[in-house]
Amino acid sequence: MNPKTNVKDYEPIVGKSYIEELRMLASRLSGKTILNINSTFVGGGVAEILSRLVPLLNQLGVDVRWQVIPGEAQFFKVTKKFHNALHGKEEPISNDDFSLFLETTEKNLNQIDFSGDILFIHDPQPVALIAKKNDIGKEWVWRCHIDISQPDSKVWEFLKQFVVNYDAGVFSSPNFAQELPIRQFFAPPSIDPLSEKNKELPPEAVETVLAKYGLNPDKPLILQVSRFDRLKDPLGVIKAFELVRKNFACQLVLAGGTASDDPESEEVLTEVKERAGTNPDIHILDILPGSDIDINALQMAATIIMQKSLREGFALTITEALWKAKPVVASAVGGIPLQVKDKLTGLLCHSIEGAAYALRQILANPDYGRWLGRNGKEHVRQHFLITREIRDYMLIFLTLERKEDIIYL
Amino acid sequence: MDVIDWLRANIAVPVLVFLGVFFVSLWLRRLIYNALERWLKERNTEIGRIVVSATRGPFLHWLLILGAYIAIQVSVLTPRWKSDSGIILASIFIAYLGWILIRLGRDLVQLYLNKAKVPQRAITVTTNIIQVAIIVIGILILLELWRAPTTPILIAAIAVIVIAILALRDIFPSLVSGLQLTQQKQIKAGDCIRLESGEEGRVEEITWRNTQIKTLDGSIIIIPNTRLMQTTIINYGKQPKVAKEPFQFSTRLHLKELTGLNARNLSQLVSRLNEVPDAVVYYHTHSFVEEYQFLTPEPTNDFALWVQDALGYDILAERLASIDTFEFPTIGTLRQMVVGVIRDFLAQTSNEREAPLGNEFHFIKSISVVLPTPYVAHDLREFVGILRRISIGSLFFHIFEAKLRLQRGTNDFSLWLEDCLGEQELAEQITRLDPYNYTMENLREIIISLCEKRL
Repeated sequence: MNPKTNVKDYEPIVGKSYIEELRMLASRLSGKTILNINSTFVGGGVAEILSRLVPLLNQLGVDVRWQVIPGEAQFFKVTKKFHNALHGKEEPISNDDFSLFLETTEKNLNQIDFSGDILFIHDPQPVALIAKKNDIGKEWVWRCHIDISQPDSKVWEFLKQFVVNYDAGVFSSPNFAQELPIRQFFAPPSIDPLSEKNKELPPEAVETVLAKYGLNPDKPLILQVSRFDRLKDPLGVIKAFELVRKNFACQLVLAGGTASDDPESEEVLTEVKERAGTNPDIHILDILPGSDIDINALQMAATIIMQKSLREGFALTITEALWKAKPVVASAVGGIPLQVKDKLTGLLCHSIEGAAYALRQILANPDYGRWLGRNGKEHVRQHFLITREIRDYMLIFLTLERKEDIIYL
Repeated sequence: MDVIDWLRANIAVPVLVFLGVFFVSLWLRRLIYNALERWLKERNTEIGRIVVSATRGPFLHWLLILGAYIAIQVSVLTPRWKSDSGIILASIFIAYLGWILIRLGRDLVQLYLNKAKVPQRAITVTTNIIQVAIIVIGILILLELWRAPTTPILIAAIAVIVIAILALRDIFPSLVSGLQLTQQKQIKAGDCIRLESGEEGRVEEITWRNTQIKTLDGSIIIIPNTRLMQTTIINYGKQPKVAKEPFQFSTRLHLKELTGLNARNLSQLVSRLNEVPDAVVYYHTHSFVEEYQFLTPEPTNDFALWVQDALGYDILAERLASIDTFEFPTIGTLRQMVVGVIRDFLAQTSNEREAPLGNEFHFIKSISVVLPTPYVAHDLREFVGILRRISIGSLFFHIFEAKLRLQRGTNDFSLWLEDCLGEQELAEQITRLDPYNYTMENLREIIISLCEKRL
């Protein structure tokens, strides 16, 4: 986060009254400490959101801290398997994997400083730290960023034994709610409109990035930005593109990176490169973490932005695309329909052919694409900016002990 | 005899000249001042009256000084004595004139600036500046008379003036602006004003440098007068009728609580609908209004959307969409209506359709968190000003939640306008508005427009 970014800088984007309300909520949290715990400081949506959310909440006067659980590569390999299994993918998970998970958690329980009034635990990797609740009490909230609408029952049952001990759970989509004895809140994630990845870039900066990656600025550009992960279906994207390219001159960019907690991404990247072969209009860009300006420029230059995931928690890349008023073609999975309202803020698809059809519709009707893009931007302004996520979390923290439907603060 | 001759030769002439000038002066003063007083009676000018009263006595004294000067000049004194006496008399005259001018200046400045309702501080500063200027000019003239070097004093005076101008460079424009503001009566204490930049409130005080405004959220902002003169100001004038009780604006933020309940077909939907708390029914009948403010909202509900998108029952969807939420006084009666429409449809349907996996209807509960805002309206003008700046959440709370969820019978605005301001007609106009047919921003504009017509 730009250290100079101030909460007030969001006023022109969301309005003065919105920021006033954030300050009102923050003042009511005064004196409480909130400790976030997740698995990585860099790479992936969770780390990205926390790196912006924590300083902004601090600026508002809320004492928010952030810790990362330590773990060996083997531990993260297991949690990656959990991640895939929770998304519904079949994974060979053995009892040894569960044991390794518990052993690492046990070590972490002794290493982590749990000083805070509210413990805000993100995703499955640190979920079992709830064991500490018996010793220290306090309020515990589990933030699930991933799609657990159809989880592998073995993994979910294993994790559920920890989740039920939390005071509340927070999910990115109503589809992800489970039958749990705890309160479950719906809070979609968000993007920061002032970040390097989302701020408005001058045309020259966009041109420079296109030249850097050898892209033709005059040819319609179809873009998918995501980690090289099978659940993002990069091979399906290539196939849909090939169907469209028969009738429309266009180019495809698959831009991605890797996260420290995702050991599988290198393997997928190799597969995608092989599938793309020597097609001059398919560009596979392995973008290093931190190349936010490059991603921003690619999104600004894109004609259409795709997210053809097979499973998806929320897909912040769609939020970024909508914020740039780009027409989006995305799979109707996970939390995507929350952002892409079919034919209103983008086009949804259920298959490779459906994706190709949607791409053709927009390529043939640029005005339609622009209308979708404008609606998409307003949708994001109202629901998926970081200011809204901050507000939701503060509301959750403030109302954890209140059970009424109408709460007067 | 010698003495008498000496007196006759040396004193008589100057004395006679002096006495002549004295009597002529008395006659001249009577003539001039009587004429002036007659003129003043006709004109009735305060300024003239001050000038006449301040100069009537000194006028005679000045002529006497003139008489003394002429007498000395016709006397037998040596030229050296004559010259020195002349300089002394001129010095007395200049000092006397300066003193009178200072008094006159003070009285005139006070008269003029008091009329313009300029703050006392500004009057004092202006009077002091005039006094200093007269004293400096007087001293320079005296030095010139006595042939003393004036250049160093002139340089010092210029240096002081330059330093003073530099030190007061910000004050002067403000002072001038303050004078203009008050003289032209553009704004005065008690007026409700709105600046081009959006600041709005009641003028509390206009000082010689700044104007203090009490804004709609109760805070005091201090605006330099120079800025006020350069900006466009809408002056709404005096505060309109004050309400019996002020209107405290609240805002409502909401959390969505997932119930974990879902439905895949109509039977499940009806069954769950009967079980869930009111907060769930409220959420699914209001989420569209709240979440799609950028689209022209349709008076629809989540049940209608799901029945159409996931189950493909177009006719039922239409019937559900046509339920007019505005008509229902309570969530319970609204729930009964929704359930009744679905049951009627189910009674005529043999094979129920199932929603595809992943397209289930998820029951969500709306948790409203209500906070008081700093905005308090004491009259209709303030009410309009605050309406312009409150959040959508605040508008939503006072319009939608007040009526249906808090069961106040109508919206909070109408209740206050009628009970505390006696604005029955305006209250009724707002009550009659069906808020479900507008975007929130349109609704805001319509209410503002209705209130402004009344103002």
